Amino acid sequence: MELAIEVEGLVKSFGRARALDGLDLTVRAGEVHGFLGPNGAGKSTTVRTLLGLLRADAGRAKLLGGDPWRETAELHRRLAYVPGDVSLWPGLTGGEVIDLLGRLRGGLDRARRAELLERFELDPRKKTKTYSKGNRQKVALVAAFASDADLLILDEPTSGLDPLMEAVFQRCVAEEKARGRTVLLSSHILSEVEALCDHVTIIRRGRTVQAGPLSQLRGLARSQVTAELASPPEGLARIPDLHAVRIEGNRISFEVDRTRLDAALAELIRVGVRDLICTPPSLEDLFLRHYERVKAER
Amino acid sequence: MNGTWALTKLALRRERFIVPLWLLLLVALAAGQVRRYAAGIPDIAAFAREMAANQALTAFAGQIPSPTLAGMAVWKNADAIYTILGLIMILTLVRHSRAEEESGRAELVGAGVVGRLAPLTAAIIVTCGSAVLAGLLTAAAMTATGADAAGSLAFGAAIASAGLVFAGVGAVAAQLTQTARTAIGVAALGLGLSYVLRFVADGSGSAALKWLSPQGWSHLVQPYGDNNVAVLLLSLAFTAAALALAYRLLTRRDLGHGLIPERPGPATSDRLRSPLRLAWRLQKGLLGGWIAGYAIAGLVLGALATSVEEVARQGAAVEEFFRRYTASPEATMTDAYLWLIALSLGYVSALYPLLALLRLRNEEITGRAELLLSTPVSRVRWVAGHLLFALAGSALILATAGLTMGLVAGTPGKVLAGALVQVPATWILAGIGVLAFGLLPRAATAISWAAFLFVNLFGEVLGPILGIDYWIAKYASPYPNLPMVVSGEPFTATAIAIMTGVTAVLVAAGLAAVRRRALI
Repeated sequence: MELAIEVEGLVKSFGRARALDGLDLTVRAGEVHGFLGPNGAGKSTTVRTLLGLLRADAGRAKLLGGDPWRETAELHRRLAYVPGDVSLWPGLTGGEVIDLLGRLRGGLDRARRAELLERFELDPRKKTKTYSKGNRQKVALVAAFASDADLLILDEPTSGLDPLMEAVFQRCVAEEKARGRTVLLSSHILSEVEALCDHVTIIRRGRTVQAGPLSQLRGLARSQVTAELASPPEGLARIPDLHAVRIEGNRISFEVDRTRLDAALAELIRVGVRDLICTPPSLEDLFLRHYERVKAER
Repeated sequence: MNGTWALTKLALRRERFIVPLWLLLLVALAAGQVRRYAAGIPDIAAFAREMAANQALTAFAGQIPSPTLAGMAVWKNADAIYTILGLIMILTLVRHSRAEEESGRAELVGAGVVGRLAPLTAAIIVTCGSAVLAGLLTAAAMTATGADAAGSLAFGAAIASAGLVFAGVGAVAAQLTQTARTAIGVAALGLGLSYVLRFVADGSGSAALKWLSPQGWSHLVQPYGDNNVAVLLLSLAFTAAALALAYRLLTRRDLGHGLIPERPGPATSDRLRSPLRLAWRLQKGLLGGWIAGYAIAGLVLGALATSVEEVARQGAAVEEFFRRYTASPEATMTDAYLWLIALSLGYVSALYPLLALLRLRNEEITGRAELLLSTPVSRVRWVAGHLLFALAGSALILATAGLTMGLVAGTPGKVLAGALVQVPATWILAGIGVLAFGLLPRAATAISWAAFLFVNLFGEVLGPILGIDYWIAKYASPYPNLPMVVSGEPFTATAIAIMTGVTAVLVAAGLAAVRRRALI
């Protein structure tokens, strides 16, 4: 399968601070790829390197098959970018900025532009300095979605959007995916990543700590089980596969590796099950596990 | 009014360098002039008579308040002091009121235990306080040079009053518009208008006009002469009225908004199709302002050329003047004057390309460059768009002044050539600006201003006033090497070709550096 982004062992230092420390990132063409990490993990530095705004100290970065530093302008014909902190030209209106960015990217779908403005409820006649943060992000999003770019690089694009607009954004990304475009979505909003992304890469301190399909990553984590049993579950607490076991009367809750779920449930059934809730690991669990490791190391 | 004191302390802390530096400069301007006259002019009364006869100088400096050492020092620099202080007051007041609102910092402050009127009050306290301080310090410094105390106090009062008036003007302007830049523009327009009224009043002899100008009120005090401090009641009344109006406007508007509402703009744009068009949108305001300013300067300075009196080439000072600004024994005093003005216009124009190019740095800091460069626009194309305006704009500005000045002075071809000859020298500054932006982006602002000040301070116009030897100018600044086409030197292309070449090298190096560096 063709790769849209290929990053290997990327290193970038700012003075003494090491922002990227051997980061890997692989995004296949046509997928929506979630790029996660705590604040300061190096997400924006990676994105800015991919855009050819920064030059990496070491490592390899390929974007749409080209070198992002040397073939900057050619590669940018095929991508659209939405920065996390959108700053727009104060004398221009939102509509003018959308048209400017669209023209520079080599054309804009007028019908789609009009449709997106309506869906995002954005008034293009207002001067950009009167826009709120969310409205500035909408300007950049409309320009990106209405372009005919192959690759969308979205750096925390929804941090200023309200829940309604967040839903519009998610629908738009789903449409982009259906049209065969690749999306790199750097985000803090885990529900958003969970809803949109097939693959995720989790980084911290400039290194990749986990990458792969979301379903596979989930497999590595534990499910949360809560059960109401027929009698007090004595003896269950001693089963070695169960973690974080809590017992209150007839109720038991525990975490278990998905591979051991079978055996654990068999034990429960032996006692007699009245009620059962089993939750797969959320992205938040995955993320928090890594996040807590960061805190522990500090 | 809750929180006024805390905000005042904050403003004072933020101003701990800028305002003291300006005050020092103004005090040095006043007291330093006394020392220079004391050292250089043996018969001050004769000098005063000579100067009083010159209508052009009277327009620039105003009436001579008294034919004494201190009186002549006031005559020489008071107008500049009143006007510069007025500008500082406007900038300071807007910096602590409208600029704070525009940046959103006022919102952070407004959410605390801070009264609605507190931010403006703090800005007024700091600004008006510095105006009064400027007056007191100047009075003290003048007294220290041996001038009489009553006159010094009157001079100090005239200075402080001029400052207070424009603090009031700034306070009103800050309520009217949504952006600090426009507020400064509106207030500076008032300052400029007031300057022109005073200029015309003294230049034409219609003294009544002076009563319409705040700088005029300070002029009417006539320090060391009449010491007519009562006129300043006008300034104080004006200030009080302006501040009252500012408070009234403040209580009627929302935080972050102005009174002049924003009109909706176009929903689409067919014209913004290239980085060059965008650069035009971003540059046209600055360029328009400079062209307008230079057109007016050309008219006024050209008109004065018609009243320059021819003098015999006698006396050391006159001979030195001719040696500097003419290249032929046939050149007249008018020729020398026109070349001096053409040069001065050149020296000031050095600032324009630097300011135009600093827009690039501003685009980079705000992150707008990042958005633009995420499209297929290359860095060189982005920089080149702004550079084009820096270069062509410099030529356009100088050509405008050359045209208006030449038409009014009656020698259009010669004066236009004199103004255009300055262009390659100004271009060198553009080259320095590009190189600074490419190599040392974080220091680009400091380097640009340093380059402008260096060229001017060591140049042949300001240099001698500051006591720097004339021969240094030829090496420190490009302008002294230009052919004096207005005052008798035939046009030669050598210096122009060298300067254009130097600019090309600087620009090429700057562009190469921009391509190579990280965007920060």
